[in-house]
Amino acid sequence: MAADEAKQKLDGLIKKTGAFDCVECGKCTSLCPITKEDPNFAPRLIVVKALEGMAEQVAGARDIWVCLTCARCSAKCPYKVNYTEFIRGMRETARKGGVAPACSEGGLMNSLAGLMTKPDLGQNRLGWLEEGMKVAEKGQYLLFTGCTPYLNVIFGEKDDRVLEGTKAAVRILNKLGITPVVSADERCCGHDQYWAGDRETFEKLARLNIEWIKSTGAKTVLATCPECFRALTKDYQKVDPDFDIEVLHISEFLCDQLEDGKLKLTKEVPETVTYHDGCRLARHIGVVDEPRMLLEKVPGLKMAEMESAGDESACCGVSALMNCDNTSKSIQLRRLKEAKATGASRMLAFCPKCRIHFKCARTGNLPFPKEEVDIDVVDFLTVLDRAI
Amino acid sequence: MKDVLVIGGGVAGIQAALDLAEKGVKVHLVERTPSIGGRMAQLDKTFPTMDCSICILAPKMADCADHPNIIMHTCSEVAGLQGEAGDFRATVLKHARHVDASKCTGCGKCAEVCRLKGRIPNEFDFGLRKRGAIYLPFLQAVPRVMNIDSKKCIFLTKGKCGEKQLCKEACERGAIDFDQKDETVTLDVGAVIVATGFDLFDPSGMFEYGYGRFQNVRTAMEYERLICASGPTGGHLEVEPTKEHPGSMAFIQCVGARDLRLSPFCCSVCCMYATKEAVLVKEHYPDTDCTIFNVDMRALGKGFEEFVERARDEYGVRFLRARPGQVTEDPATKRLTVWYEDPASGKVTSMEADMVVLATALVPGAGVAQLAKALGIELDESAFFKVRDPLMSPVESTRPGVFIAGYCETPKDIPESVAQASGAAARAFEVLKRKGGAAHA
Repeated sequence: MAADEAKQKLDGLIKKTGAFDCVECGKCTSLCPITKEDPNFAPRLIVVKALEGMAEQVAGARDIWVCLTCARCSAKCPYKVNYTEFIRGMRETARKGGVAPACSEGGLMNSLAGLMTKPDLGQNRLGWLEEGMKVAEKGQYLLFTGCTPYLNVIFGEKDDRVLEGTKAAVRILNKLGITPVVSADERCCGHDQYWAGDRETFEKLARLNIEWIKSTGAKTVLATCPECFRALTKDYQKVDPDFDIEVLHISEFLCDQLEDGKLKLTKEVPETVTYHDGCRLARHIGVVDEPRMLLEKVPGLKMAEMESAGDESACCGVSALMNCDNTSKSIQLRRLKEAKATGASRMLAFCPKCRIHFKCARTGNLPFPKEEVDIDVVDFLTVLDRAI
Repeated sequence: MKDVLVIGGGVAGIQAALDLAEKGVKVHLVERTPSIGGRMAQLDKTFPTMDCSICILAPKMADCADHPNIIMHTCSEVAGLQGEAGDFRATVLKHARHVDASKCTGCGKCAEVCRLKGRIPNEFDFGLRKRGAIYLPFLQAVPRVMNIDSKKCIFLTKGKCGEKQLCKEACERGAIDFDQKDETVTLDVGAVIVATGFDLFDPSGMFEYGYGRFQNVRTAMEYERLICASGPTGGHLEVEPTKEHPGSMAFIQCVGARDLRLSPFCCSVCCMYATKEAVLVKEHYPDTDCTIFNVDMRALGKGFEEFVERARDEYGVRFLRARPGQVTEDPATKRLTVWYEDPASGKVTSMEADMVVLATALVPGAGVAQLAKALGIELDESAFFKVRDPLMSPVESTRPGVFIAGYCETPKDIPESVAQASGAAARAFEVLKRKGGAAHA
């Protein structure tokens, strides 16, 4: 990409994200989860370089790929600079200049997403459906299952229960008398591509999904994965401003059902759990109370909050399956210690990737006794399913 | 000549009341809490002269109590204002104190026997000291009259307090009156001065600084009480759990202020009071390291810059330009770590501190909207009282005859508040003069 084009793009981004308002106080840098592990990283300095007009240097810098886009910095910036969006925008610029990130697992998930941009693709992604589960091709409610069928194949070794949450979602909806749309025509939501600056792939996936969702006649789309939820509620509208079908996180939907008396949590689940808010769900969107309200209503269940919870939640250490390294591992282990310290027997999470990362972090050699992080990580919905 | 109503018994309200009383005007000084004195009474020292705050204020408070032209209405709130400049009728709600002010000498024998003694967090010391249901707000309280917390008092809430009411029995003068009722009075006044000051921003919502979770994270106002000789620790700064004085202290500026998510404005006094507070630490414990984390130092009053330089050069206070992102605690030792971006290297750095003091924003009081409605005056976009013209009439509210003084108008320090109070008093006096009539001699 020509230098002046990069410059132009950068100027637009500075304006859009309020980067010019940065007063260089360094609050973002000092609360960033990465900087404590990797002191050479500084979100603010990326912006400073940009403000100084060093567009090409910024686009070529390793730092823009290190960021987790967890939005802790944006959430706390006294001058409301949207660093997260700034980084994402810079990634798009960098991509156009031929710089791409290194993806974990050989970029397999990314390649799959690329394959899914083919319009006439025949996917075999419903093999996990069990006997007795009722799903349909058309209907009022659509369950966006996300990548769990694929994650199950790729990461099955690390987490053999990736699909449990997806299955639980179907079971819960069936118990509520709902036959959700679950279809082989669903594509990857494109979240990872969007956050890795691959706008082209993201837009292709978004268009295919929007087309498919519209074709099912669904009035409400239910998402379980926080990343899919973020893409469906905040980013698809950038591709198709007319995409206005209601999208709810399943916790929001189930809360409504609970209030209407349709969802009845009657069976005892006698254990103590803790809950990990994904950054997309809690900070990007702000769904914090609903999962807690649901857990509160489960008979016999005790909820123990971690030191950092809700929109203050610590991160899982990896974003868009891009940057898995020692820094990620340290962040994950720290979070697991927090979870273990609550005394809970299990940590619940909606995000399948968070769960995989946490489970992965516990394997291998640890610099401390395994007991400190020895806590099981399971899908949120499995607990709810047991209570109905 | 008509009377004047002054709302708020802090230093600004006191000054306005005294100015007018000296001119022969009768003043009704209305204060929401049981004692006048306001925030200045809670401070240890004042900047940049390091004078004892209460030592300067207490004589003025006493002057108010003694002045024949000043009528104090404590535990009172203004509920409405009818009429026009020169001829207002103010409705004042006087909450029952349940103690007869004409009989009580403030001896405190009742407080000694209260069944709730030492159980209720004391407002004046931000809960660092505990009081009973009957109490004197603080040592130098004016009026020196005991007060019963009607929300906590066992007799008033349950209708029975053990075998007998111990406080009533202890009072030699029969001053305790459980039958006292709230009353509403109407005051005929010619002008009104509003001087309601500020509230303190509660930093417990700022998870990153750990206030409320970590014992050794304090607000600046708590620190003022802790370092004050008449405070809960007798002026000894104690670190939990060792009770030793801190070896290292960090002051974090602009907590909740100059933050577009919270209060966008600068509170104007925090740079200077933090400098003062750090100097106080150094005067108490010369070996204690003090670091002030600031966004930028705003030292723009007379002698202020010189004071900051003295703090830096003579006392060895360290000033660092950074907004820390996080305070963490070692759960075993309760020692704190402050994480910040080193302004020189741009890298995340940390320092250990035994105590962290948060310069929390001073924000418009919780009741300003209600008061503005009652008085028929307007607030500005930050919820400070709006003046008619910020350049040419900086003490006039949007309603003729109602004047504004002190922090409730816009952030300012003590001398500025006092000056504005005198200005408001002078303008109020003009209103009375225009209407004519003889002054109270």
